[in-house]
Amino acid sequence: MKIDLEKLKGIVGQDNIKNDIADLYVYGSDSSVHNALASVVVRPTTIEQVQEIMRYANAELIPVIARGSGSGMSGQAVPIDGGIVLDLKKMNRIIEIRPADMLCKVEAGLVDDDLNRALKPYGLFYPPLPASSRVATIGGEIANNASGIRSVKYGATRDSVLGMKVVLANGDLVNLGSNTRVEASGYQLDRLMVGSEGTLGIIVEATLLLKPIPKFRCIGRASFNKLEDAGEAISEIIASGASPSMLELMDNIAITAVNTTLKMGLPDVEAIVMFEADGKVKEAVDAEIKFMKEICEKHNGSDIETSYDLKERTKLFAGRKKLFAALSRYKEGLSCTSLADDMAVPYSKMAECAIKIHEIAKRNNVVMTAYGHCGSGCMHTKILMDPTKKEQWEGAKRAVEEVYEYVRSVGGTTSAEHGIGLSKAPAWKKEKADSLKILKAIKKALDPNNILNPHKMQDAPDDWVTATKLRYPVE
Amino acid sequence: METKNLKDWKNELNICIRCAYCFEGCPVFKITDWETDSARAKIILAYGMLIGDIEPSQYIADKMFQCTYCRDCSERCSANVPVVDVLAAARADLVEAGFASETHKGMVKNVKETGNIFGDKEIKAPVQQGEIPVYIGCQYLARPNQTKMYLKILEKLGVKPLVKDEICCGYPLYALGFRKEFAEHKKKFLEIFPEKEIVALCPTCAAYIHEEYGKDVKHITQFILEHLPEKNLGLKATYHDPCDLSRVMNITEEPREILKKLGIELVEMPRNRKTSHCCGGGGGILMSDVNLSDDIAIVRIKQAIETGAPLLITPCPTCEQVLKKAAATVKEKGEGDITVKNLSDVVWKALRS
Ligand SMILES: Cc1cc2nc3c(=O)[nH]c(=O)nc-3n(C[C@H](O)[C@H](O)[C@H](O)COP(=O)(O)OP(=O)(O)OC[C@H]3O[C@@H](n4cnc5c(N)ncnc54)[C@H](O)[C@@H]3O)c2cc1C
Ligand code: SF4
Ligand code: SF4
Repeated sequence: MKIDLEKLKGIVGQDNIKNDIADLYVYGSDSSVHNALASVVVRPTTIEQVQEIMRYANAELIPVIARGSGSGMSGQAVPIDGGIVLDLKKMNRIIEIRPADMLCKVEAGLVDDDLNRALKPYGLFYPPLPASSRVATIGGEIANNASGIRSVKYGATRDSVLGMKVVLANGDLVNLGSNTRVEASGYQLDRLMVGSEGTLGIIVEATLLLKPIPKFRCIGRASFNKLEDAGEAISEIIASGASPSMLELMDNIAITAVNTTLKMGLPDVEAIVMFEADGKVKEAVDAEIKFMKEICEKHNGSDIETSYDLKERTKLFAGRKKLFAALSRYKEGLSCTSLADDMAVPYSKMAECAIKIHEIAKRNNVVMTAYGHCGSGCMHTKILMDPTKKEQWEGAKRAVEEVYEYVRSVGGTTSAEHGIGLSKAPAWKKEKADSLKILKAIKKALDPNNILNPHKMQDAPDDWVTATKLRYPVE
Repeated sequence: METKNLKDWKNELNICIRCAYCFEGCPVFKITDWETDSARAKIILAYGMLIGDIEPSQYIADKMFQCTYCRDCSERCSANVPVVDVLAAARADLVEAGFASETHKGMVKNVKETGNIFGDKEIKAPVQQGEIPVYIGCQYLARPNQTKMYLKILEKLGVKPLVKDEICCGYPLYALGFRKEFAEHKKKFLEIFPEKEIVALCPTCAAYIHEEYGKDVKHITQFILEHLPEKNLGLKATYHDPCDLSRVMNITEEPREILKKLGIELVEMPRNRKTSHCCGGGGGILMSDVNLSDDIAIVRIKQAIETGAPLLITPCPTCEQVLKKAAATVKEKGEGDITVKNLSDVVWKALRS
């Protein structure tokens, strides 16, 4: 692929281009198992520069991969065909905050936590809040439809995006959506962009819906001797009309990991459920918490602790917060890989899903845990394995297939919040078999030359293990 | 390249999940905004070299050395990877492969020939007999007035410091990857300091003597706090946590207690204690990339200015030096004014009166 570096330098300036092999290697990976080499990294600072880069790339048929912080877990930002990696982190201005309209306008490279820090003095927050909010950019969150622990109450990114400016494959700039909470008819192209993983356009600006920071917040934690009981409690909490601002599950492997590696002393039970309510009126929060506590008790939940106190809340949630670190250290020689890491199933299938994950792991000789934002139907797992062993990858591949086969069988979905990219694409394509033609047609209509993050999602290779070089040295 | 040091860290490199959480506070990345300069990139490049994906180069070596050794990355790592230890190993392999910078080589030569990093034969410890072994360190030795002040403080508090004809603690040799030279140096150091317990003036020396030599090190602030009477200086100040004191030695409260005892009203910067922002002076970049060091220091001094306090206090000689310079730059540009003082200045002021 021939790329005219002088041309690109002319657009963004010498200081905003990198092409040493070390840069290309670094920008060739994200938080997934994949690795590829970019051809050049370009850092635009204005919308006009993004437009010019797209015009050039479209004319020369050069792939362009938008990149926020590269925290995606499925290889979404990995430049599978090389090309221009468009590092958008320098486009990180907050354009305006409009408290009266409960909205703000920001550039796409802004980091989520930086936005929330700026909103705090206004008593407002931007709710999607993925666990990675300290690094994830607003553009990356929109492109992945990120969500988090509070999405059970406040929705995912798609529910918080009112509009956006997008640079299309041919360099045209379009304004999608509006400044209003509702917009009824038409194809709602802004919503199409949410979750499109950089395959339909480069999001350069976004208009985001804000919420008031609640005055009261109370957290609760219940222990369950049977995973099924925990699943039923979660199901009933949701079905009974309670309004949790968080509803999380941790299975026994997750609990053991936290206890053995971080000595946190969580109750040694089959499952822990964490619930939270927030609001403006304390009595209302009290009532929600009491209601959820009673449901947990009804389903044999025990040792239930609740607290409004920030320190206590942090303590009660610490096990969940540190889970990732704990899983990484579960057992000497095992690495924590983001595979089959994310799915959603109907509420009533939560416990069954966790049990299936355990069975599948055992069958395939890998370790898998189950935890997640169950309040939004979202289940996470990780595959813990020795990534240098070929047979472990074979086991992991089978495990991924089996997990998603189960998920499809209960009407669930491959992608709850961590994107599709490369490693989840084969399963997702099976799930979307009926609509693949439409998906491809949409891609073709917006990106006829297939230059925007090509060969991802519906166009990704059928075998994720060989889609790129794996980033580990496999024996 | 032979990766004999990095090999020991293969498991940790496998554990890194490339989450980018170590972007959040990396002072170098925050200045350049290039991922290649971030902690995660350094880990990716180290791994790439270890598994033979990429060849070492001067460019990669420069990236590896472009680091203040502040350990913010290790502190924030989602998988508890000891990032800076892995980086130290990568540096060692790069040095052995011939990628050491001339500046760093010069410093190693200085330590060999004169016992201090500056290569200045005139720099000598004020040797004295006493009861408690006190380690002064190159940076304070180069500031004889401040050293004298600390020794006077100790005496005023009823402690007789034992000062030896010391040599560099060896940290720069280790951190900059000169492992062979360090092994020889270590022997010499241990001959001079066979004692188990040492009081150190410099936070970096304290951290290193504790970590590498396994000694029971007290930092001077801990020692002062145990003996300090209450005073009332009536000042308002912000406190800058030196990285090695807060993130390595877990010493965050003692200096604050000292300020409280002296009647100083403390106004915290949002990034304090274990999340403190680096001053930009560590890891050898003061010698190899002074502009980067200056830029980082300016970020920190602006954070201090935002507290509204007229005074910034820190117990580290390097932090003091770079932050003083940053304060002068910021003042000259009309972007704020703050005075930077070493903790010893205020303690001595209180004890003298
Ligand atoms: C430890 C950890 C925890 C996580 N927790 C969560 C969680 O709780 N919830 C959750 O939803 N996700 C989570 N994630 C996944 C990830 O952080 C999110 O998907 C995040 O939104 C990615 O943002 P980013 O800026 O890093 O995007 P990148 O990884 O850089 O990019 C991801 C995709 O978005 C595209 N993209 C990026 N910016 C733009 C743009 N401006 N225009 C068009 N396309 C763009 C890229 O091309 C790519 O396809 C987690 C990841 C890690 C490592
Ligand atoms: S030690 Fe500090 S400067 Fe070096 S990589 Fe880590 S965070 Fe960045
Ligand atoms: S925070 Fe830790 S696990 Fe994450 S990229 Fe950095 S070193 Fe790797």
